[in-house]
Amino acid sequence: MRNAVLLAVLAAAGFSSAALAEGLTVGVSWSNFQEERWKTDEAAIKAALEAAGATYVSADAQASSAKQLSDIEALLAQGVNALIVLGQDTAAVVPGVQAAADAGVPVVAYDRLIEDSRAFYLTFDNVEVGRMQAAAVLAAAPKGRYVMIKGSNTDPNADFLRGGQQEVLQAAIDAGDITIVGEAYTDGWKPENAQKNMEQILTETANGVDAVVASNDGTAGGAIAALTAQGMVVPVSGQDGDHAALNRVALGTQTVSVWKDARDLGKAAGEIAVALAGGTAPDAIPGAVKFTTPGGNEMNAIFLKPVPITKDNLTLVVDGGWITKEDLCQGVTAGPAPCN
Amino acid sequence: MTTGQAVPLVEMRDISIAFGGIRAVDHVSIDLHAGEVVGLLGHNGAGKSTLIKCLSGAYQADSGEILINGKKVEITNPRDARAQNIETIYQTLALADNLTASANLFLGRELMTPAGFVDDSRMEAETRKIMARLNPNFRKFNVPVSALSGGQRQSVAIARAVYFNAKILIMDEPTAALGPHETQMVAELIQELKRQDLGIFLIEHDIHNIMKLCDRASVMKNGQLVGTVNVADVTGDDILGMIIMGKKPAQAA
Amino acid sequence: MTDAASHSPQTEPKRSLLQTLEIDTRLLGMIGAFVVICLAFQMWTGIRALPDFVPNPLAWLGAGRFFVPQNTFNITIQTVSVAIMAAGMVFVIVMRHIDLSVGSLLALCSAVMAVFQTEILPDTFGLGLENPATAPLAVLVGIVTGVAVGGFQGWLIGYQRIPSFIVTLGGLLIWSRVAYFVAGGQTIGPLDGTFLMLGGTNGTIGVTASWAIGSIASVGAIWGVWQSRRARAGHGFPVKPVWAEALLSAVAAAAILGFVALLNSNEIPTARLQRLFSARGEVMPDGYTAFYGIPISVLLLLAVALVLTVVSGRTRFGRYIFATGGNPDAAELSGINTRWLTVKVFALMGGLCALSGAVASARLSNHSLDLGTLDELRVIAAAVIGGTALAGGMGTVYGAILGALIMQSLQSGMAMVGVDAPFQNIVVGFVLVLAVWIDIQYRKRTGV
Repeated sequence: MRNAVLLAVLAAAGFSSAALAEGLTVGVSWSNFQEERWKTDEAAIKAALEAAGATYVSADAQASSAKQLSDIEALLAQGVNALIVLGQDTAAVVPGVQAAADAGVPVVAYDRLIEDSRAFYLTFDNVEVGRMQAAAVLAAAPKGRYVMIKGSNTDPNADFLRGGQQEVLQAAIDAGDITIVGEAYTDGWKPENAQKNMEQILTETANGVDAVVASNDGTAGGAIAALTAQGMVVPVSGQDGDHAALNRVALGTQTVSVWKDARDLGKAAGEIAVALAGGTAPDAIPGAVKFTTPGGNEMNAIFLKPVPITKDNLTLVVDGGWITKEDLCQGVTAGPAPCN
Repeated sequence: MTTGQAVPLVEMRDISIAFGGIRAVDHVSIDLHAGEVVGLLGHNGAGKSTLIKCLSGAYQADSGEILINGKKVEITNPRDARAQNIETIYQTLALADNLTASANLFLGRELMTPAGFVDDSRMEAETRKIMARLNPNFRKFNVPVSALSGGQRQSVAIARAVYFNAKILIMDEPTAALGPHETQMVAELIQELKRQDLGIFLIEHDIHNIMKLCDRASVMKNGQLVGTVNVADVTGDDILGMIIMGKKPAQAA
Repeated sequence: MTDAASHSPQTEPKRSLLQTLEIDTRLLGMIGAFVVICLAFQMWTGIRALPDFVPNPLAWLGAGRFFVPQNTFNITIQTVSVAIMAAGMVFVIVMRHIDLSVGSLLALCSAVMAVFQTEILPDTFGLGLENPATAPLAVLVGIVTGVAVGGFQGWLIGYQRIPSFIVTLGGLLIWSRVAYFVAGGQTIGPLDGTFLMLGGTNGTIGVTASWAIGSIASVGAIWGVWQSRRARAGHGFPVKPVWAEALLSAVAAAAILGFVALLNSNEIPTARLQRLFSARGEVMPDGYTAFYGIPISVLLLLAVALVLTVVSGRTRFGRYIFATGGNPDAAELSGINTRWLTVKVFALMGGLCALSGAVASARLSNHSLDLGTLDELRVIAAAVIGGTALAGGMGTVYGAILGALIMQSLQSGMAMVGVDAPFQNIVVGFVLVLAVWIDIQYRKRTGV
């Protein structure tokens, strides 16, 4: 509900600056466009920009921070009026933000934190995502041995998520109901790295694992592959609402996928970028709050609220047009709604 | 032409080398006097190249000695050989195809400017001078030697030996890849070098060339010396017999 | 036979213009390709920039955004790191070896330099991040690391006779992981202020100094042309006609000064100027403008290029590298110690990787864990596009740098016109194969 109100306000702000947006160009610097998720984000950003009459240009850094810097320089040379940056490395992208600030071009830090007070931080509340992940797994496995499959250690989101997960699990840990038997960062968020780490942990604990708190659907998939190879099914969390993950929720191999409707994020990013380019001050963006980063920078930020998708509310993603019923229910027999 | 009692220019005494279990050279002794051409003959694999590479520094003998002008010397690498004024013209000519004639001539012994840089201009000037003596029609000084004909490459290799005041020359099948006209050129050059009192070891297969160019001939078979003869005293067939059947000669020389 | 040398310069009979100028046609071909690429992107960005399509190439050229000073300045900076390594890779490939580990070695040297300036110097020696000695010491430590690791690889290749492909493939896998441990799995920053001047926009020498250097370089180039004429004439060799020498001098000077002018026309953004002024505690005068000038990293590249070109053409070390590449047996038989030479060549490559690492990490203001990844492919491609034959024996330093520039312009241009990243890789791969094919045809035609 709060999301809807926020978006309505932003939409209003967007429309009112539509006149100013004519002829504006917004550049997006992707960290690695090859990952599946970002196409949805791109479509949403493009739609928002089109509605405001602005043009979309982009560059793909192919997972290299050096290339991302070159990309940002190229976008600035093309004369963009605002930048949306999905940072490959939170610290190494700062020279790019510097260059944009020098050129007077506002920057939106998209989904991933950039440690620089000049950027506008737009993300889903990652701590809340972590809480939701842990809560769903805890509900399914109140006692036992837990494994924490984290994100990339150069991505601050990984630590935000872990923090939220810890908050929810703390009481059970203190009571001795839960022990954490394994914990690992996943290089580059790559599923194959998560799979390797999970296999390692399973071997070390002799398959003594009762639940896995994985930080996103990609790593959840990797962890589940490792578990399946050992013939195990335990509660596993994830985030992003990847189609494969939602299918796993329907099949029962994954407990929860915290859904951040990337379309909302993309739309908000487009509108905020246009507003900033049109001259709106960052703290005047409707819904902006102050946020102090782990590095001690104070940033203007907007946090969108995520939705945990479990077998109990799968209809949400179908009704919301995120995934078709066929894709969701592939291979599901006697499954939860809407697959039965 | 004479062997006489003079101290030999080069004497290789009782040389042996083995590679793995194979005796490539087995207690071979040969010698060479100033102003003479000694042919080194034998099958492929007879050991003649290996023997002569001990003299040129490419290999080191397991046992035996090398004497130059009666004094024992140690030749452990090609630089030592050059220091003894031994120059080799290899079958493959040992030319770097991507370098020019003058760069090849001076390879390993470049002329330097006072500032410590390679002096290409001076080297080219010297090359022009020496090539003018050996092969007056040679013009291609600024191209890589890969662009030269077989005979021209041969003349560059020979020029390298001559420029550096070789006293002892080793020639490994110098006419193998040449036509008759160029072979004649090389033959005349060898005569000229003999007149200048160089001693030449000539590895050859062609009996005709042996009879024409060599004063003496040492024949090897399976790593061992069959014998050394005066070319004037034997016929081509005799030599062939030594090479093919290892038939010892009637008189040694 | 009489000596054919006389002491007055002779001129050869009439030949075509190109032959008279004695310019390597391959170099001309590459410059031509570079110009074509730049013009193509200028027109393409122009078409995109114009609100309506007009079938007028001149309009496209005018509206294009490829040649804006900011972009050409950026491309120059972006090329430096790969170009420095490509220049060294020429020597490696000429010697019939290959070095696949350069990207990983870059990462290792960068990690060592970053840890050295942020932890070791302050903790052990009490030299903080703003001490003037920090940056030179850090760079020195980096170079020592690079030379040591490179020399070690060279030893394995030259003395232990392990093929260079294998040794450097191992290096590729090993050194970046070692870098990961050195860096503690973290991005390291911020780096020392002086060190950051190697990064490009953070360290430029300004307009006046740039013109000064440009003038000195032009004078040097002209002197070089006439000096070599004198040396050749002194030995009685044929020399080019005077007008040809003058033309070459003029072109060289024009190219150098043109390059400086391009870099000098890149304006520093006002916001940045204000920051610089307030950092010094001063107020910026109204309407004050300043231009960047030559970046220090570009000066570094030019210095490296100059030194390596002199080494390759005018020193025994360079001569022996080419000889060994042309015919390793001939080199051995000429008394060249090819094994020791191998160690030196790979040590040189390692040192250059360290310099590239300094530039790359300075540009990012951090050492990041993905630094240098896949750089070896770009470096080898640059050297090969620049005319270095993988079979050995042939290659030029200026060719490799031009190859790096061509590849960077291609990628930059494609990014500007919105070509998808996967397709960019397809194009680069295609250009690489095409360049080598052209090179082979050229060598066949000229019988070289």
